[in-house]
Amino acid sequence: MGNNGKKSVDGGGLVIFEDVSQAIQAEKVLRAGGYEVKLIAPPPKYRMGCDLGVVINLVEKAGIERLLKEKDVHFMKILSTTEGAAELISVVKTTDYGKWLMIKAGNMKLAFEKATGIIVNTSGGGCPDIPYLHAEMVDKKLTEAPKPSELGYTLCALMLDRAYEEALTVWNGGN
Amino acid sequence: MLLIAGTIPQKDMPLIAGPVKRQGDKLVADGQAFSRIQGTGAMISAALAATEYMGIEPPYVVVAGDIGKGDGTRLMYRHLTENIASLKPDVVTLHYCQPFMNLLTLFVKEVEKMDKPPVLIADAGAMYAAKAAGLAEKFDVFTPDPSEIAFLADPAATHPAYIAHHLFGSEIEDVPELITAAYTNKSAASVLVVKGARDYIARNGSIMATIEEPNVPVLEAIGGTGDTITGLTSAFVFAGVDPVEAGILAAKSNRMGGKMADPTPATKVSQIIDVFPEVFKQYLCEWSGICAVPSKGDK
Repeated sequence: MGNNGKKSVDGGGLVIFEDVSQAIQAEKVLRAGGYEVKLIAPPPKYRMGCDLGVVINLVEKAGIERLLKEKDVHFMKILSTTEGAAELISVVKTTDYGKWLMIKAGNMKLAFEKATGIIVNTSGGGCPDIPYLHAEMVDKKLTEAPKPSELGYTLCALMLDRAYEEALTVWNGGN
Repeated sequence: MLLIAGTIPQKDMPLIAGPVKRQGDKLVADGQAFSRIQGTGAMISAALAATEYMGIEPPYVVVAGDIGKGDGTRLMYRHLTENIASLKPDVVTLHYCQPFMNLLTLFVKEVEKMDKPPVLIADAGAMYAAKAAGLAEKFDVFTPDPSEIAFLADPAATHPAYIAHHLFGSEIEDVPELITAAYTNKSAASVLVVKGARDYIARNGSIMATIEEPNVPVLEAIGGTGDTITGLTSAFVFAGVDPVEAGILAAKSNRMGGKMADPTPATKVSQIIDVFPEVFKQYLCEWSGICAVPSKGDK
């Protein structure tokens, strides 16, 4: 099983899901299985408002379908096209507030104290899991806080996860 | 009636509908308490602070627990769609929720059937859905932040996570262009209150005001400081203030609240909300002519 030897997503295939959390879970399972995949917005006709798909190499469709079923990851269908799909924002910015650092990924921001690595705030976004993640993450150390991609369900959570990962990288690099 | 609808980040919280009041560090409606921290709770708290100060009816809230699965969002929209005609609110503000385009569309259809439709205000997930579903022009006020105005300006984006990179990289000086693009694309409400390092208030494509003082840069790091602007704008509109002027008052109040709270990135938005009464007391009369506080229940 897997995709040993291949290191890029040639694309051509797109797995679509009923909700974002399933797509995030699928990405994790497929990467662990050795597949190169990428999260992306489905084409407009498959969007309901807060959607995420996984781009795959279409030639690997059979193995991917089997792995997702084995791991009990539910998906709606696998399309043989990525036409109309859109890329997620990958821009990450950092703002230095002296004792604190704020990392911004897409529309989501995470601030932590430099000396302790404690998350002091999260902001941005408009989906219901963002206030929930705020409550679960704030006042915890970066190394001990829950990962937004594991606790959240939406695209906002995914962007917050990117800010969190960047903050963790900065924190680990400085200690 | 000022009706505020949104989700609360609490598992298994049922739908709650009724006038809201503050009880210690909680909000209470229909006998049930919920958090005033973050998101819709912060927005309601800011609106409540303003309605209390002005001595007008407190917000009527329709809230349900939702941690991102969409269950509370569905309850909220079902209740709104079934009851909006009988509630007859003057202002409706929609906030944190899953951006389900179909549910928002059904709600807006019910609103359009009303003899006297309410002023419609949206932020957060409800604004995402309104733009993505092509319903933006049905709304009177949107309150986007800089990344959200870039989202409104991008005709292809259905969520702020998918904004074109050249738009997302925009600086505050580029916001006027984004505002123009949002109106051109029919992705803007009549009035936009763009919250950022410099706040922009626009109506039908024209920028009516900018506010940049007092400048408190750390507010960007504090979760909920955009939600408070939406809550304040809603309360001022409900008090009869023109939406543009309401946006200006909200932006000024939020900045002054930020300054008076002397915040750091670790400050919680509730600490800023708690100084709003003092902000109103010191500045609202000077800024707006809202000077005498009427007796409770008057509007």
